[in-house]
Amino acid sequence: MASLVLHAVLVVGLVAMVGPFVWMLLSSVKPEGEIRLVPTTWWPHHPTLDNYRDLFARLNFPTYFLNSAIVAGLITLGNLMFCSAVGYALAKLRFPGRRALFGLVLGSVMVPGMVTFVPLFVLVANMGLTNTYAGLVLPFLAWALGAFLMRQFMLSIPDELIESARVDGAGELRIFLRIVLPLCRPALAALGILSFLTFWNSFLWPLVVATTEDKYTLPVALALFSVGQNQTKFGLLLAGSVVVVLPVLIVFLLLQRHFVRGIATTGLK
Amino acid sequence: MTAAASDASTRRGRGVPRLRRVLVGWGFALPFTVLFLVFMAGPVIASLLMSFTDIRSADLRNPLGVNLVGIQNYSRLFHDELFIKSAVNTAIFVLAGVPLTMVCGLAAALGLNAGLTRFRSLFRVGYYLPVVTSIVAIAVVWRFLLQPDSGLLNSLLRLVGVHGPNWLYDTRLALPSLIVMAAWRNLGYQMVIFLAGLQAIPQELYEAARIDGATSWQQLRYVTLPALRPTLLFVGVIATIGYLQFFEEPLVMTQGGPLNSTLSVSYHIYNQFGFGNYGYASAMSYVLFLSIVLMSILWFRLLRSDEGR
Amino acid sequence: MKSGTRRGVAVALVAALALAGCGRDGGGGGQDKAKPVGEGKAKGDITVWAMGTEGEKLSALAEDFMKDNPDAKVTVTAVPWDGAHDKLATAIAGKQTPDVSLIGTTWMGEFAKTGGLDATPPDLVKKDDFYEGAWNTTVVDGTSYGVPWYVETRLLYVNKAAAIKAGVSTPPKSWDELKSAIKALKDKGGAKWGVNLQPGQTGSWQTVMPFVWQNGGDVAKDGKFTLDSPEAVEAFAYYKSFFDEGLAPKDLPQGALEPAFVKGQIGAFVSGPWHISVLKDQGGAGKYDLWPMPTKQSGTSFVGGGDLAVFKDAKNRDGGWKFVSYLSRPEVQAKWYKTVNDLPAVKKGWDDPALSGDPQLSAFGKQLEDAKSPPTIATWEQVSAAIDAEVEKMCKTGEKAEDAAKAMQQQATSIGTGA
Repeated sequence: MASLVLHAVLVVGLVAMVGPFVWMLLSSVKPEGEIRLVPTTWWPHHPTLDNYRDLFARLNFPTYFLNSAIVAGLITLGNLMFCSAVGYALAKLRFPGRRALFGLVLGSVMVPGMVTFVPLFVLVANMGLTNTYAGLVLPFLAWALGAFLMRQFMLSIPDELIESARVDGAGELRIFLRIVLPLCRPALAALGILSFLTFWNSFLWPLVVATTEDKYTLPVALALFSVGQNQTKFGLLLAGSVVVVLPVLIVFLLLQRHFVRGIATTGLK
Repeated sequence: MTAAASDASTRRGRGVPRLRRVLVGWGFALPFTVLFLVFMAGPVIASLLMSFTDIRSADLRNPLGVNLVGIQNYSRLFHDELFIKSAVNTAIFVLAGVPLTMVCGLAAALGLNAGLTRFRSLFRVGYYLPVVTSIVAIAVVWRFLLQPDSGLLNSLLRLVGVHGPNWLYDTRLALPSLIVMAAWRNLGYQMVIFLAGLQAIPQELYEAARIDGATSWQQLRYVTLPALRPTLLFVGVIATIGYLQFFEEPLVMTQGGPLNSTLSVSYHIYNQFGFGNYGYASAMSYVLFLSIVLMSILWFRLLRSDEGR
Repeated sequence: MKSGTRRGVAVALVAALALAGCGRDGGGGGQDKAKPVGEGKAKGDITVWAMGTEGEKLSALAEDFMKDNPDAKVTVTAVPWDGAHDKLATAIAGKQTPDVSLIGTTWMGEFAKTGGLDATPPDLVKKDDFYEGAWNTTVVDGTSYGVPWYVETRLLYVNKAAAIKAGVSTPPKSWDELKSAIKALKDKGGAKWGVNLQPGQTGSWQTVMPFVWQNGGDVAKDGKFTLDSPEAVEAFAYYKSFFDEGLAPKDLPQGALEPAFVKGQIGAFVSGPWHISVLKDQGGAGKYDLWPMPTKQSGTSFVGGGDLAVFKDAKNRDGGWKFVSYLSRPEVQAKWYKTVNDLPAVKKGWDDPALSGDPQLSAFGKQLEDAKSPPTIATWEQVSAAIDAEVEKMCKTGEKAEDAAKAMQQQATSIGTGA
């Protein structure tokens, strides 16, 4: 009975959550005039694939897709490495400067991104990194939010586990790779999902760093169709949004399977 | 620091020498720290400096040719009617939005974690969809939902004989409407983190609680929530950061209106950067930063568990 | 955490004190001497940024240009309008500009003031070839920093069926005639709202200021704001009266205008040439007339569009200007209209039958003869936002026109002109 109620609530919630996404899917196969109808409609009356055809014809799609994949992929990998290492240090290792470092990390999570935008660009420009993958990727490899996330998760790993490995003579790197990281699978999955989502969708930074179209990412290229309320090509924008969202969903689907109890956790007393 | 460290080493270090601890600790922290300092420290210091100058967009090519104005940008804030208005709006948004989203996000995570055995991935993806759906599509659908005459919400209200208002164009209702929309949009993000956090709670704790005859509510109250503290702290802090920087929803739905009733501090900052008032906008950003720090300290106090070390 | 953060603040403060030695060396932009461009054909790489559809299609014209100038290679980068302002600002700050860029007319003052734009070379183009209102958007403190590329202006779109029912057969000539025509559209023409005028919020000044101009007022005269002049106050009161008399909606949901207009529920609205294609998409083609602005002292409308500018940090300044000059040729302007429907900024461009033969476009062409742009001051974006906010208060809360004008004037004065 209780489970039936739970299911019912979850299903109702699900409908409310997926509504706009379904509208986006359905409207991406409508002609422009039909999308702009007020009040809006759900089912397409004159379904057409023109929006998608137009999208692929007008955009140099493979290039933008590849750029997005390279940039978001490298940043996500970098985050997984650097943020988990520093998160481990901040949560489980005692060394001078630890508290100051955590303060800096936490502090910079809290600095509004807008305020550092121009100085960061000037810095990257002076390093000669505009219009390069390095300029798109390097500033975000050390993602403060990711470091904070990993630290919080690692706090809940029992100290005894690490201590006993150390007593058994395991090296520090080995402890990290063999004991800590496997315990962090759910956290790494969450970090991967959030990092990929954030940097796949990132717009303003790639827009200013890429000065020629061959370095544009998908969101930047898609924004070309958004030209104010009156002239925006909603059909192209929606079709593009559907295409942009797919990799994010695939990453989510692949990684959410790791939201399972770590084997070691249950075995420990 | 030194005293505390040596104290800690005698207590728990068990013969790990100090030098080794330094090397190991920084060995793990260094790659991140170097990248972090290179790309974060400079811009932060530069922008902090900007907030004490009268730098405008006209100075972009010659940023050193500006005048130092001390705390003038900061004192100006308190006479800026729009800033005060936006600060009040932001406060309402944080106080209502953060708890609302966290309760919903946690509820979704608990529901999907506990009860479901089938279609688990489907449900997870479904609840995550608003996070990834394009804001353009979200805006259109929500506008349709809140439309005064033909909207879904007011049509439902009509069924029970209530004449629904013009949600987004009413100065009292626009902000609450956006709060609900933001909670809807962000709960999936928090759900992901909660889902991960829930996996770290040892199953034995629940078994023990069940043996003691604890109800599900008691299990939630005395097992899940305490064990989830580090996760709650993280989510609480980032939700506060996110909601204090509330921006996208008013941008696409109301442009801060009607009559600035949905203008947030972040939106105001965005406008000031757009106007080229870099010094003033930076000062405003750092006031926002300070309020984020204060709110985060509250969170740390509230959820202090392993933080004492 | 605390000690670390505090240390950071201390470092910053010390550095700030070190900076105290610096200071403004006065001026910066606005006093540039225009340098001529070399003779002969363009050479080398020319990089160009253009926004939106213009960016997508400009390569077509660049091909033609390269045929005429075989030693030149033009690379066009399309830039989204969203974020274009940030991209230009950061590029100027990081000295990473292209050679040429499209710049929105209302941004010219701000970017010219950065000193990042090159003054228009003498004899490159003839000022009188362009619509006066469009040319003025390039002039900052008496120096021109670019060349108008395309223009747009605003007319009244009027539902034909409603107008016939209302018995309004000719466009109203005066403010009074316009008012009674709008009333007739509502009372006799069957429209729920006689007209839609933007009740404040971003860009409403583009609809409001033409009425001020028609009444002989202006945003500023001789470097001083004149938003509370009697002419301006009267214009604001006129604008406000449409809302007070129930002729214009105060809270029309976004996107509701066009369908309601096509159905005749809204009798008229003020907008630019892009609405021709928007209405066509919504089944409104042929269902409306275009009226020019009514005349008080004058029949002035707003002129907007895009200018082309060359940057100081350009690597190929001469090539850039030569490309700009090429785009200003009448035949190229006409071809550009046929490519992306942008209206020519060069008067002779309108001689092409594609433009002169189209009655709807001719209406816009005629209005361009009497169209104005706001002053090219560096702070215009901020001043205009203040105007928008007061217009909203005036239209929605019943604030008096005098008080709105006073508040605009007071805010504009405290913002200043950025000089």
